[in-house]
Amino acid sequence: MNSDPTMNTRPAADPANWLDSALAADGGSHRDAYLDDAGFTARVMAVLPAPATLPAWRKPALSVLWAVAGLGAALALPTAATDVARELFRLAAHPVSLLEIGAAIAALGAISWAGAAYVLRHD
Amino acid sequence: MAPPGVADAELIARVVVHDDRHAFSELVRRYQSPIRATLRRMTAGNHALADDLAQETFLLAYRNLKSFRHEARFPTWLHRIATNAFLADARKRKEELLGDRDGDVVDDEDGDGLDAGGAGDSHERAASLKLDLERAMATLSEAERAAIVQCYHNDLTHEEAAYVLDCPVGTVKTHVLRAKQKLKLRLAAWNPEPDATA
Repeated sequence: MNSDPTMNTRPAADPANWLDSALAADGGSHRDAYLDDAGFTARVMAVLPAPATLPAWRKPALSVLWAVAGLGAALALPTAATDVARELFRLAAHPVSLLEIGAAIAALGAISWAGAAYVLRHD
Repeated sequence: MAPPGVADAELIARVVVHDDRHAFSELVRRYQSPIRATLRRMTAGNHALADDLAQETFLLAYRNLKSFRHEARFPTWLHRIATNAFLADARKRKEELLGDRDGDVVDDEDGDGLDAGGAGDSHERAASLKLDLERAMATLSEAERAAIVQCYHNDLTHEEAAYVLDCPVGTVKTHVLRAKQKLKLRLAAWNPEPDATA
């Protein structure tokens, strides 16, 4: 830094410049100097907040819940399928009123919106 | 660990999305030197305090990285945090850190450093001026010193300095002007034409 030739520049024409030159030279030496890390990064990393980790019981609990849901579906689906088929046959065999159609559409809409809201909530 | 060539933006994204600690440590490693050096200047050479503030700066940067919108370069954003940390700390502990030095810039009670000294060779003079400049910088107010450090040491424009200092451009110019007036008085012995500025 002492070898910087501008450090001693003192233009006689503009007395204000000597201070600018000194500040600029000092700034230049400041920018050129590199401070060794000397463990600084490690100290910073040590004081960072602990990473957010999920509780250890969460994964097995989720697995159990999925297993129970799967078992329930497997047990319920066969009878549900026959029920649906029977109801479809009954609907086809008998005329349906507009009110019933409207109610069915409303129910399907409600189910769709509820499903979408559930999925979006998890995303 | 992230290789040195990875862009800041990518490292930042890794930290924000995956809380990638290695990416953040790479960012700290990249910018610890300029941030610590700037804080050393602003704290008038108090290295321990400067490193504490630098640590606080990176901690705040980590916590607020999600709010970084790339409206400035990442190091500029870091300098802004560092400057805010310095000014907040200075306000908190003003009396212990610098004392009431704002009003007595022309006083030089010890009288042992601010004369040009008739030093012999150019290196000696340069070293002497550098030392005097450091002492004179310590007599500035925190805001004035921060403005000088950003404009001269970090080579920022007034607009960039205004962003870093979180104040209007006019305020930066005023701080720089007042700081230079004080420095001129303090370093009057170094003026090659003392009569011209008297």
